[in-house]
Amino acid sequence: MNRYIPIFLVFLLAIFLSIIIGPAQLNTDILQLRISRVILGIFAGGVLAFCGGILQGLFGNPLVEPYTLGSASGAALGGSVGMLIFGTISPLFAFLGALGVGFFVFTIARIEGGLLRDRLILAGVVMSFLCSSLVMIIMVMGGRELYEILYLLMGYLGVVINSTNRLMIILMIVLSGILLLYLYQYYRELDIISQGMETAAGLGIDIQKLSIIIFLTTALLIGITVSIVGAIGFVGLIVPHISKLIFGPKHLKNLPASFLLGATFLLLADTIARVITVYELPVGVVTSLVGVPFFIYLYRRQ
Amino acid sequence: MFSKAVKAVCIGCVVLILATGINSCEKPVSHTGFKIVSLSPAMTEIVFALGVAQDLVGVTTFCNYPEQAKKIYKIGDFSNPSLERIVGRKPDLVIVNLPEQMRIKRQLEKLNINIFISSPRTLDDIYDEIIEIGRILKKEQAADSLVNYMKMHISRVDKPVLNAVEGSSKKRVYIELSPKPLVTIGAPSFLNELLEMAGAENIFADLEKDYPVVPQEEVIKRNPDVIIVLHPEKITDRLGWRKITAIKNNAVYTTLNQDHLMRPGPRLVIGFKELKDIVDE
Repeated sequence: MNRYIPIFLVFLLAIFLSIIIGPAQLNTDILQLRISRVILGIFAGGVLAFCGGILQGLFGNPLVEPYTLGSASGAALGGSVGMLIFGTISPLFAFLGALGVGFFVFTIARIEGGLLRDRLILAGVVMSFLCSSLVMIIMVMGGRELYEILYLLMGYLGVVINSTNRLMIILMIVLSGILLLYLYQYYRELDIISQGMETAAGLGIDIQKLSIIIFLTTALLIGITVSIVGAIGFVGLIVPHISKLIFGPKHLKNLPASFLLGATFLLLADTIARVITVYELPVGVVTSLVGVPFFIYLYRRQ
Repeated sequence: MFSKAVKAVCIGCVVLILATGINSCEKPVSHTGFKIVSLSPAMTEIVFALGVAQDLVGVTTFCNYPEQAKKIYKIGDFSNPSLERIVGRKPDLVIVNLPEQMRIKRQLEKLNINIFISSPRTLDDIYDEIIEIGRILKKEQAADSLVNYMKMHISRVDKPVLNAVEGSSKKRVYIELSPKPLVTIGAPSFLNELLEMAGAENIFADLEKDYPVVPQEEVIKRNPDVIIVLHPEKITDRLGWRKITAIKNNAVYTTLNQDHLMRPGPRLVIGFKELKDIVDE
């Protein structure tokens, strides 16, 4: 349990850095702005990493995450369809997009009596590319500018918060918290499934039902996240691995740690994004710039 | 035997390509029945202003001014013009906007269709392009007078007045083109030039990008006296923005027509007057 202490301290440090570092002098207004950005960062980083961890546990595949499963890009696709119809990205459409694409990926990877896990990733990545192209077409046809598309596909935390979207964002974050807790209660089942599907089935776990629950809930979470901050990549992939390196395979411990580490990672990436240029840089650029070498380093060391 | 034939065909093709390539280097000149396709809304306005609108056989769906332009055959929108529709009009000249229409420009070049490239960054570029298209369309005089008209109306505020303005410090303006993410104008854009000529200062004039994406904090830090919003979203109730001078003093302008300011054509005259009215207020 005491391994949480250093991680929590780093998390606090990330929050502290995010709040004190920035171009403007700190006053109450700037503080409000930075705190809202920190909240978005904790929410998005935490949710993505947590979902990544739980999906990796469920499918027993280290490469599974919201991005490689196609649901993040699917959410962006759904979101941009909603944007064409209503002029704004709605969580509902993003959820439907994540769900639809996820479902499609499953259908491709499905064989009689189970899932082909390698095919799951292949199908997910392929669908992810397809969705990105469709987002491009839809947005360009809708007269949207390229940077808007880029920021939706890479994600950024500098979202403008005003009286129209404030309540919505707060509600969505609260809902996400509830959904995360709901998923967390399945930690024991996930531990057993990680040992092997047969064992789990032998112990009477309804894998089919659990898969559907986890699949639907993560799709909803990803839909919410993407509709607010865009499709930020890499957090969901690498953070659960780091979490497992530190806390071992037990989901009771590594899922909350994934949340904390994901939040920390995204906050630090965002701080870097804010410091290196005067421009607003999509935070997804930094997460992959930092994430890829770090990931390679970890894997070489193992 | 066979390979020789292939070689001959290949060489023939190369010669043909080279020949037509050289041919297309010559600028076309207007003649009776000259047909133009314009992919640039600003250039469509310019062609109308030069009095040769009857030559236009194709425009984009964005070409909505003057009213008659809406009735001209549409070849697609500004970002996605259809190559087939363009070619189908058998144009003598296609006006292409760069950098946005790079793809279609390459395709047209492959088909040896004459193109006119419009890519103005400064007011002088706009004037040069008007003179150039005027020469091609044999409307040199009309082009001259259009440029003179624009220069007359878009001119620097008189020196003594400017000095006085500088003494009382220029108004610092933030122009917002898009809310998600925040897009504004940097130094290399004619809108920045217009602002300066109107006697104001763009708060992001130090950025060397024409349309930079900026963080909210930078806007708050640079604290503009005036905010011009060129999209429909409300900005006064944003979290953290209430202490900005422009918002405190109710100097947020939302009713300006984007086409008057963003289209490098004759209506910049109207846009400039609107800017000046705001700055002088």
